Amino acid sequence: MPDIWGIAAVFAKLGLYIGFAGSTGLVIVSCLYSGIVAPVHRVMQRQARALACLALAATAIGFMLRGAALTGGVDGMVDPEMLGLLWQTSVGDVLVYRVIGAVMILVGLSFPHFGLWIALLGGTVALWSFAQIGHVPELESVGVQLLLLLHLLCVAFWVGIFNPLRSMALMPEHLTDAAELGHRFGRTAALVVPALIGAGLWMAWLLIGNLQGLLFTGYGQALLFKVFLVGLLLTLGAANKLRFVPAMQNGEAKAARHLARSIEVEAIVVLVVLATTATLTSVLTLPS
Amino acid sequence: MKKIVTLALMAALPSGALAHSKVEETTPADGATITTVPAEIGLNFSKDIRLTRIEMAHEEHSAVSLDLGDQTSFGQEFTIPLPSNGTGTYVIEWRGLGEDGHAMQGEFSFSVE
Repeated sequence: MPDIWGIAAVFAKLGLYIGFAGSTGLVIVSCLYSGIVAPVHRVMQRQARALACLALAATAIGFMLRGAALTGGVDGMVDPEMLGLLWQTSVGDVLVYRVIGAVMILVGLSFPHFGLWIALLGGTVALWSFAQIGHVPELESVGVQLLLLLHLLCVAFWVGIFNPLRSMALMPEHLTDAAELGHRFGRTAALVVPALIGAGLWMAWLLIGNLQGLLFTGYGQALLFKVFLVGLLLTLGAANKLRFVPAMQNGEAKAARHLARSIEVEAIVVLVVLATTATLTSVLTLPS
Repeated sequence: MKKIVTLALMAALPSGALAHSKVEETTPADGATITTVPAEIGLNFSKDIRLTRIEMAHEEHSAVSLDLGDQTSFGQEFTIPLPSNGTGTYVIEWRGLGEDGHAMQGEFSFSVE
């Protein structure tokens, strides 16, 4: 069992994942579907800002919690010696990436049109930070780090569609736009989701490397649980793509409500996936 | 929903060890029974770490921090002076930072009869 600082670190990391995946995802969706999401554009911007602020706060708190983990007490959170020590390691490097990324998102969202690309770059810088620390850098391969970045960008894209699509599906006056958004997302997801899953499975194989590690270690079991949850998400995604969205294109308002409910369930499952990942990357050790 | 939350909690609290919290060898060995209180304890790690805190708990005394002295740089072998609390069980808890930025922790115990 991790101690209280280990558990707190998992929650801080969850905030980090939600903040960066959510804000970057909203920016990606804004860039890809700017015309269709116009009715919810302002709400999306507000949410992206709030999520970037959450990411920034989680970055700072996560860094301080690492200080607490070094002393075993709350004093470590503000101990200059401990924080200075951390600053000299990759923890300090990722702190810089994440602060720069979050600030770029916030600044980019303040400028129309061109600003979105600044925000997108900021989101990418922030997501790249996750490839600089943890288990993946231990493989010492830039290719695998890029694979993780691709994986995270795909996750962000998936997470980013939730709220705009749900909100528009619940606006009867925008049913046609919501159907179009769902249709276009489904088309892109047909490429993105296999890339996401392929990248995830490949990294899992590189990190674990054998069936025994997958079946009989905490790390492997948590990974299997994550795969099970992704299977649930795929089922929901398939229902959205093959059933609800086509029905919406035929003008069925009831299908739009079903889609909104389905997205809510998807969001909860994604939350559990992120919580599992935060545990995987914070407190579980790789099988030796 | 309850099932999802239960599964999430099961995944969040597995039996795995804390990340990178391995020590190769301690002196005295974990679980050892010895006849005299050692003047110092030793910790050997497989990779470089920077020790940040060591606490000693004894069954008849409250936990105290041990002085790391000048051992405030990254290394694999550490020797820490140990105050004597007489016979009984000593529990040593250590914390440190790996060169990759991972916080590490662990503990070992020994008895003096």
